[in-house]
Amino acid sequence: MKTTLLAALLATALIPAIAMADRLDDIKKAGVLRVAAFDGNPPFGFVDEKTHKIVGLDVDYANEVAKRLGVKLEITPTNPANRIPLLAANKVDLVFANFTITDERAKVIDFSVPYFASGQQFLAKKGTLKNPQQITSLRVGADKGTTMEATLRQKYPSAQVVLFDDTPFALAALRNGNVQAITQDGSKLVAILGALPDKDKYEIPPFSISEELEGVGVPKGETRLVAFLNDTLHDLEKTGSAQTIYDRWFGPTTKAPLPRLFKIGDAHIRAE
Amino acid sequence: MDALSSWDVIKNNLPWLLWGAWPDGPLGGLALTVVLAAGSALGSAVLGLALGILLAVLRGVPRHALLGTLAFLRAIPVLMLIFWVYFLLPICLHIDVPGVWSVMCALTLISAAYLAHAVYAGIEGISKGQWEAALATGLTHWQTLRLVILPQALRMMAPSFINQWVTLIKDTSLAYIVGVGELAMVTAQVSNRVMIYPAQLFLFAGVLYFALCQGVTWAGNRVAKTAWQS
Repeated sequence: MKTTLLAALLATALIPAIAMADRLDDIKKAGVLRVAAFDGNPPFGFVDEKTHKIVGLDVDYANEVAKRLGVKLEITPTNPANRIPLLAANKVDLVFANFTITDERAKVIDFSVPYFASGQQFLAKKGTLKNPQQITSLRVGADKGTTMEATLRQKYPSAQVVLFDDTPFALAALRNGNVQAITQDGSKLVAILGALPDKDKYEIPPFSISEELEGVGVPKGETRLVAFLNDTLHDLEKTGSAQTIYDRWFGPTTKAPLPRLFKIGDAHIRAE
Repeated sequence: MDALSSWDVIKNNLPWLLWGAWPDGPLGGLALTVVLAAGSALGSAVLGLALGILLAVLRGVPRHALLGTLAFLRAIPVLMLIFWVYFLLPICLHIDVPGVWSVMCALTLISAAYLAHAVYAGIEGISKGQWEAALATGLTHWQTLRLVILPQALRMMAPSFINQWVTLIKDTSLAYIVGVGELAMVTAQVSNRVMIYPAQLFLFAGVLYFALCQGVTWAGNRVAKTAWQS
């Protein structure tokens, strides 16, 4: 009897010890930083045609973090819906995947400070969408499992939201007339518009319905890891590396140039 | 990009669609689809045969337990099982199953459940008189099954096996849910990068799936025919 009680006590005492094992130490010990990134979301994370490696703005940030930890970077491809399950199942250490910080998500995972920000905008045929009120009467395409979908439903309950697995399908639906507009991060829409062969027929109306602040997804309770990420991100801004990374994907010489209106450490996107 | 004729997108990405990053990186694309399908076809054939024989020889509670398990496996969508094996085993049991293995494991289990019933039906389809005749010549139950019943039953089961393997090939496309870079997933990756050619890319992937499935059907029928004549 006494031994079973002792064993039970020992077991309960050990559980918190396991739970408190520190991920930052684990990563250094393993010598590998496991990161989930998008494989089909240019310019944040996508498979490069030549090198066949996942590259993009998110991957560049992940690389900087791995470099400062002195470990190898290992990328696991993800879609929007798998980002939290990958963290929960301990398949990855961090998520760098255009991950909008929300209260809802922050209940189950932690976030670093934001390192990118953009507004939720729309892409439509010229003239169909002039002001936000018109959204309620349109069929709008959105990507499954993103904040775009949730914000749209919450702010415009009477709009018809059509969900797509991938942005190319949403875009094809727009071009075929199945939906009248698609919604995405403004930063991504600029790139999509640039890729269209008949781009003069489309426009991104100059309003956004939300501000999306994007941070690194971290397993719940890893405070030391979050602190390390925040220090690293602030330092990347200070040394100019953050600007270099931004310019590589959104700078004046890129296919979809976009002025940088958010710096790491800012609370909001600056007015243009 | 504008100068790119729409079919060039396939030509430019052909190696990635056919075998992924191999030999510099992991195998992907069509080659991984073939590996996933072949692995789970082999696994499900062995497991399905064993479970089908058990269905035929077991009696009472063990048989009901087996029937229950098979019913469960046949009733859940393949996508769910892949998702559970990949995401829930690490959370619940602290067992980490890599993506490729979780897909193969899920496809093997579900296909084996279907095949077990086909094998059982094949065995039951052989007349009782053959059992009695074989046993009367002094063969044991096991010898009767192996030397008399199964060779005949397997021939009758061939179409069921081919059917199941064709389904398997198509079900490997569900591997995308856990980020395994088989044909459907790499096609989506290219589609997401170039953004405006989903029709061409997925039509091409569809043709590859069709060729693969037809190939298996043709080869399977040929093998079954030769076995029949011998």
